[in-house]
Amino acid sequence: MNRRTFVFSATLGALNLGLGRLSFGQGRSRLESLEIDVHAPDLPLSPLGMPGLFPGKVVEVFHEESIVDRRVSRAAIHTMLEDGMKALTGESISRNAWARFVVPADVVAIKVNPSGVPGTVSSIPLVREVIQALNSVGVPNKNIIVYDRNSNQLEVNGYHALVPPGVRVVGLDQRWSVEGETRGGYDPNVFCEMDCFGERETRSYLASVVATDATKIINLPCLKEHNASGVTGCLKNLAYGSFNNVARTHVDPKTYTDPVIAVMCTAAPLRSKAVLHIMDGIRAVYHSGPFAWNPDFVWEAKTLLIGTDPVAVDRIELEIVERKRREVGVPSLWDHNPEYLGTSADMQRSARKSPYYREPGHIRTAAELGLGKWELNQIDHRKLRVV
Amino acid sequence: MAQNAMNWVTLLAANDRRGKTSGARRTGPDELIWKLALPESVRSSPVLSDGVVYVTCRDGHLYALDSRTGKERWKFRAGAAIDSTPSISGHLVLFGSDDGSLYAVDRTAGRLYWRAEAGGAIWTSPVIHDDSVYFGSTDGAFRAADRSTGKIRWSRQMEGRICSTAYASGQLVYFGCSDGRIYALEGSSGKDAWIHQAGDAVIASPAVADGVLLAGSEDYFFYALDAATGRVRWKFETDLGIYSSAAVTGGRVFFGGKNGYLYAIALADGKEIWKSKPLRTLTAPPVAGDSIVCIQTFYGATQAYDTSTGEELWRANLGGSLQSTPIVTDDAVYIATYPGVLYALR
Repeated sequence: MNRRTFVFSATLGALNLGLGRLSFGQGRSRLESLEIDVHAPDLPLSPLGMPGLFPGKVVEVFHEESIVDRRVSRAAIHTMLEDGMKALTGESISRNAWARFVVPADVVAIKVNPSGVPGTVSSIPLVREVIQALNSVGVPNKNIIVYDRNSNQLEVNGYHALVPPGVRVVGLDQRWSVEGETRGGYDPNVFCEMDCFGERETRSYLASVVATDATKIINLPCLKEHNASGVTGCLKNLAYGSFNNVARTHVDPKTYTDPVIAVMCTAAPLRSKAVLHIMDGIRAVYHSGPFAWNPDFVWEAKTLLIGTDPVAVDRIELEIVERKRREVGVPSLWDHNPEYLGTSADMQRSARKSPYYREPGHIRTAAELGLGKWELNQIDHRKLRVV
Repeated sequence: MAQNAMNWVTLLAANDRRGKTSGARRTGPDELIWKLALPESVRSSPVLSDGVVYVTCRDGHLYALDSRTGKERWKFRAGAAIDSTPSISGHLVLFGSDDGSLYAVDRTAGRLYWRAEAGGAIWTSPVIHDDSVYFGSTDGAFRAADRSTGKIRWSRQMEGRICSTAYASGQLVYFGCSDGRIYALEGSSGKDAWIHQAGDAVIASPAVADGVLLAGSEDYFFYALDAATGRVRWKFETDLGIYSSAAVTGGRVFFGGKNGYLYAIALADGKEIWKSKPLRTLTAPPVAGDSIVCIQTFYGATQAYDTSTGEELWRANLGGSLQSTPIVTDDAVYIATYPGVLYALR
């Protein structure tokens, strides 16, 4: 095991990484300093690991017919995914595009986002299409795991019942069985340790699915605002859906999601194994995420964002959510005006209220840690319109 | 509390799977008789027979509890977590496990009677009809086993997971599948009687009333099919998928939607009679008596409504449920929650 210490300092406006120091730009959090110890295997960085094979490249695929009569169309998702994967990789055949990321012997973990009302989670048609694509390159269902931290959220959204036979659906908070062997949810040897608000348990452990079982991770986040981290995209879905004990990083109105999300994503197993990110923006959320109890804050974006660089994908997501918020005349996610603070109930009624000062800067912090491209002029943003 | 006031021997009370209770509690329970915190969550429904409550838990145990005191009579350990609601048949209690086994346990002593193997976790509740036990599995196979020995008589491989508990009647056995089909098979051979293709998965367990099979689908529709032919009598559209199985009483059909509404529709023509205020996400089946219908919500409460008007009668804020249904008798209400607490209330 290797231990690395990250020190986030408000007074210096800098993040110290070991002996190095990385300066931050504007919009930085005004929180107290935070020290994060990352205990993780000392593994060489895989070329497939974040930012992956295509740093800075994001393919945005739009299909008008991806929602038909209020239902997500699997046929449309199939076409969007095929065209998007070919555009990302430059391959002319979809199967070859997928073969850039996985081989038949891989054990592939699919990280879904089930935290939301039905319709604002990683959609079942997308999950089914990804499984079918993995099958096309020879990965059998028994080597595919759909996972998240919360069993109840997986179950209430039906993943356990709706994926094909053989695929394992694993809620990390419960025990699960593989070939007669019972497994626990988290690896006691891989963790991030920090004291955010004086909490009793200062460690967050990494899922054993990530640390041990999986050889690759396909990340399926959703295009959603998040009331603490600004957006819940690739980085947050991976970090806060793979490490436990993460809700402690935000106590209203303050949040340490920046830098914790970014730092967690640098942990070797997670960083090396997450090879592809496919963001579900068929239905998107511009306020009261991640759960979006109020349907007024959900819109039909009919979009997938595909890339290997989670920072670049999240940056484009952030631009999309900010654009939507401007359209409807509500404050920017970066706006820390105290008059926009409110309770959770306020947040569900008004798109001007949030319990937290949102901190979307975790995306830029991830860029500073080498996980991808933040600057828009460094992002190769391709737009496809499927008809 | 009167002993053995009624038996509630399988998912949704009885093998007709209509979720119909004889209980008619117009007022909510206001007295705790006992409660028991189990080691892990409970995803299944408790059942009741001859003064014993049987409940399965994700800690891998089937518990037999005295219905009056909650005291454990015995517990039986399976090979993995249990999500299947037990069914009682004669001296046996049967259930499936995530270890891919269907267990038949002697219910007086809690000893293994027989064990049948499937190729994947069994989340459905076994249904016993004549001398056969029918059960689907997440491996996509639907099986019929001998009730006395557990020997598999026939097996049919489908193209999706089977999380829908079957309904058996006369010569036919019905169930839904995540391949989007509702199957009616001959109970004796497993051969197709008819198949209805829905637009998406059918997770809900079918009920049959007045010759009509009733089940909701992930395709947003609730279907009423002729139980003999599979012909669509009517269908009712909601605005999200339906996992909740139906309860039927007094010519009314009740089910919950993932959109959070409890619906009451007419058995005869599928017209909406009333729907509840939104309860966020509903996946558990309701149970219904002559005058009340009860449902456990995912986000915390057990709620009861007047079957005729939809007026809310009472609620018990004890913890949510994904699939569990309360046992509602004239004497007591038994509620198992997802966090793993079992309540007996008066």
